[in-house]
Amino acid sequence: MTATLWRASLRYSSRHPWQLGLSLLGIALGVAVVVSIDLSIDSARRAFVLSNEAVLGTTTHRLRGGPTGIDEQLYVDLRTRLPALRAAPVVEGYGAGKDGVALRVLGMDVFAEAPFRPRLRSAASGDGDVLAALMTRPGSVLLSAETAARVGVGVGDQFPILINGRHYDLALVALLETNDDLATASLADVVVTDIASAQELLQRLGRLSRVDLRLAEGEMDALETLLPDGVRLERAGSGTELAERMTGAFNLNLVMLGLLAVMVGMFLVYNTVTFSVVQRRQLIGTLRAIGVTRSQIFTLILVEAALVALVAAVAGLALGIALAEQLLGLVSRTINDLYFTVSVRELTVTPILLVKGAMVGLVAALVAAAVPAFEATRVAPRSAMTRSLVEVRLRRRLPLVSIAGGLALVLALLFIQLPGESPALGFAALFAVVAGCALLTPGATVVLLRIFRWPADYFGGWLGRLALRGVAANLSRTAVAIAALTVALSATVGVGVMVDSFRRSVSDWLDVTMRADIYVGLPGSPGERAIAPATMARIAALPIVDDVSAGRGVKVIAEFGDASHEIDLVALKMARKSYAGFHLLEGEPSRAWPAFDGDGAVLVSESLARRANLAPGATVRLQSDDGMRGFPVAAVFRDYGSEHGTVVMARSTYDRHWDDAAVSTLGVYATEGADATELADAVRAVLGADQQLVVRATGAIKTASMEVFDRTFTITAVLRGLATIIAFVGILSALMALALERAREVAVLRAQGLVPRQVWQLVQTQTGVMGLIAGLLSVPVGIAMALVLILVINLRSFGWSMDVHIDPAILLQSVVLAVVAAMIAGVYPAYRMARISPAEALREE
Amino acid sequence: MLELQHVSKSYREARARRVVLDDVSLAIPRGEFVAVMGRSGTGKSTLLNLISGIDVADSGTILLDDTDISALGERDRTLKRRHAVGFVFQFFNLIPTLSVAENLMLPLELIGSPADAARERVANMLQRVDLATRAESFPDRLSGGEQQRVAVARALVHEPDLVLADEPTGNLDAETGRSVLALLCDMSRDAGKTLIIVTHSEEVAARAGRVLRIEDGRVHDASRDAPPVSPAKS
Repeated sequence: MTATLWRASLRYSSRHPWQLGLSLLGIALGVAVVVSIDLSIDSARRAFVLSNEAVLGTTTHRLRGGPTGIDEQLYVDLRTRLPALRAAPVVEGYGAGKDGVALRVLGMDVFAEAPFRPRLRSAASGDGDVLAALMTRPGSVLLSAETAARVGVGVGDQFPILINGRHYDLALVALLETNDDLATASLADVVVTDIASAQELLQRLGRLSRVDLRLAEGEMDALETLLPDGVRLERAGSGTELAERMTGAFNLNLVMLGLLAVMVGMFLVYNTVTFSVVQRRQLIGTLRAIGVTRSQIFTLILVEAALVALVAAVAGLALGIALAEQLLGLVSRTINDLYFTVSVRELTVTPILLVKGAMVGLVAALVAAAVPAFEATRVAPRSAMTRSLVEVRLRRRLPLVSIAGGLALVLALLFIQLPGESPALGFAALFAVVAGCALLTPGATVVLLRIFRWPADYFGGWLGRLALRGVAANLSRTAVAIAALTVALSATVGVGVMVDSFRRSVSDWLDVTMRADIYVGLPGSPGERAIAPATMARIAALPIVDDVSAGRGVKVIAEFGDASHEIDLVALKMARKSYAGFHLLEGEPSRAWPAFDGDGAVLVSESLARRANLAPGATVRLQSDDGMRGFPVAAVFRDYGSEHGTVVMARSTYDRHWDDAAVSTLGVYATEGADATELADAVRAVLGADQQLVVRATGAIKTASMEVFDRTFTITAVLRGLATIIAFVGILSALMALALERAREVAVLRAQGLVPRQVWQLVQTQTGVMGLIAGLLSVPVGIAMALVLILVINLRSFGWSMDVHIDPAILLQSVVLAVVAAMIAGVYPAYRMARISPAEALREE
Repeated sequence: MLELQHVSKSYREARARRVVLDDVSLAIPRGEFVAVMGRSGTGKSTLLNLISGIDVADSGTILLDDTDISALGERDRTLKRRHAVGFVFQFFNLIPTLSVAENLMLPLELIGSPADAARERVANMLQRVDLATRAESFPDRLSGGEQQRVAVARALVHEPDLVLADEPTGNLDAETGRSVLALLCDMSRDAGKTLIIVTHSEEVAARAGRVLRIEDGRVHDASRDAPPVSPAKS
């Protein structure tokens, strides 16, 4: 390659600023979407990991018990029998500070802490007065300076906290030392206190949440022999593993949406590079004639694309960081709603993610540019690639392209049929659907243009005919623009139908599940919840109360697939009407319920059934207080509450195997004729002052649940919007290219008497037709995408099945959006074409 | 020395096959000026394409300086063309994004000329075509005649043995055409290059040492009013 060749190439780009600009914008937006998603997910994950680091410290293993934790006597026994054991007891729970700020209460034994949590220990161990206060004055706590400022408290001051519905006043006796940003971040919203204080605050007298251990090789066996039933020794996974396990599927879905945006951006690059090749056909031919080789031409065009992609990637990174600031709130809110409590204060920009984002843009641009670059090398010198030649080639290859599209769809079907539970195959199927439909677009466009011929003739006359012919004659360009818009719109339709189906399924599920008139529960963040037995008795005794169901939700360990998994266990004392609250997907109700009530059988949620391969008659193994135990599965029920899985068992079964009398929620049924408001007022009147409980009408809970649902999908809507913007840029780019290429054709028409207004009509009709085709194609493609999303990806990611519901409004919206977007994109090209001076355009040729 | 032996070329058109050159044999000694004439579509440009290695003959041999270019692969043909052939096109075909001097630098850079020598050679050539003052101008700022003079300079700047011109005056007025043709002929003759011009103009043909006329796929040596030179007697 020579310097002069490079100069020629660079000057070409600088002489076509709009073309360069649109290319840059397409890639930059794609990169921005990918980077913003990565950064916001990574920031949330880091926040979670950091908060865990403060709590987990250098722990290698831990002892965990059932829902009520571990008897503290076990810790004492272990220290006595194994004096060399490095162990630290922990009591942990959540409370709500001022303005509802979630605070993590961490009770620890300052004497045992030495090897575990250096960051927490440094402050606690340095000062004798502080130590004394922590150990002797209940409610004495330590906070980091940042958390203290957030809570609005100074050393020596008291501040309120709400734990398990009870108000407490805590005293800040000292600040935790934080030497670096990492320490500051890891101690955000952590309240450190003595273990006895924590037990009191969290109402776990004599119990420990867990015992952290630092075990050397060989220590495990000795320790395990000393453990009673119900206590389990497990490896302490890293915070990253934990976060990944909990939010993996959610993150994967977002990343795939980002890649979809990149894919739409690739059409744009393909289009602009093809245009640049076609536009330079004479030049390339001349270069070939004077001895420039095919590989040099290929390199030249690819390097051009790479340079553009590089500049675009840098712009995309900046845009991505700005976008991530906006997305961060949405991502962390969803994670808080669905998975775990995490406070993400700031965006963490990591170089590796930026490099990854830039590489995605670069590779996508190079892959998209490779096809036209290769086409350019096949051009014979001197003759080069004329527009007509490109069109002739496409027409000749149309059957092959369509067959390839069909094969891609077959491949998608194969991916779906392949056994396995990985959603990755579902995404492969989704991308195969997209690729297949993109390849089928030129053929489908030809067919649709034939169908449109009559209405175009009837309504548009010769101008309509001309417009249609313009779209058909420039198929190599128009089909790519249509395909880009189709893909973006299909994503809108597909995700729209999926979200709508999901929403309806969740709403129906809530209607079925929430049978009681009101629910009584504890406010605040997740954690151990227990309603005082006296309160329950008072509620049940009310004359307006017909029946009460009592629920206890805890986390337990289940064993399946050669590993242990934390799942939700709900113990229910059912009211008569509660039984109808379960939509049984598998299992005969007439056999399932008696087994559930009397024989210790359990119900498993659909997601757990899929993950653990469970069906009625199988056994699910759970860690109970008397050891690992198998429970027969009576039925599988629909549940959208937890993607990690839920087991429901009768309270009597729970009481037999768990030493935990607590109740977390009450479902209260009113007597015949009484309404929910009346019932709520009566219940509120009998609630004791010692424990703050929340009484909520079923309708309010459903509304709140649907709000959470909608919040979860806000980010999806944002990403869909971005993909549509990229497609809009794509269609604008294609139309601009056409406007430039067809200057002479329009000039001839103008010379023959076409007035500027008619040029407008011509271009707008063409863009409208292109939009209409994209809109119409987006309907079947979008539905296909929705089916893959619903029947494969969601099912494999979350284990949730749902009823497919196709709302015609979503489909119509897509078609209208397509036509409007295309016509808006056509405004500037139409303006330019209408302003063409016939004399100049003809002279230029 | 350029020699074509039993060269044939045909194109597929719809379902039929159209023979453009049929068993053509001819020899053009070094330094000769040959004009190729014939009606549109008779295969004049095809002949140039085959000689330059841009296109490949269906059969036959094309020897350019003892190299059988018809036996070379695409890349080798391109490299051969890069060194041995200079082109002048009807529509100038200068690189619009390169200045006049850069357009001349490109062939020299492609054959790997040292930069200083290349610059000197470009300045020299521009002097010869009387465009030294326009070295930094871009093609779109030049008149048609000026552009074709740059194209002539470009075709000769890397000192190829063979200069091929496809209707070089076809897009110029008579007066400008004459001056460009004079320049092309003079520079080729002075440098001892073989010059083959495809033209419709009798005036251009009149300057040639030999005139070949293509008709029905055959090549006749019209200047000698001789019988067709093809098919060759072997």
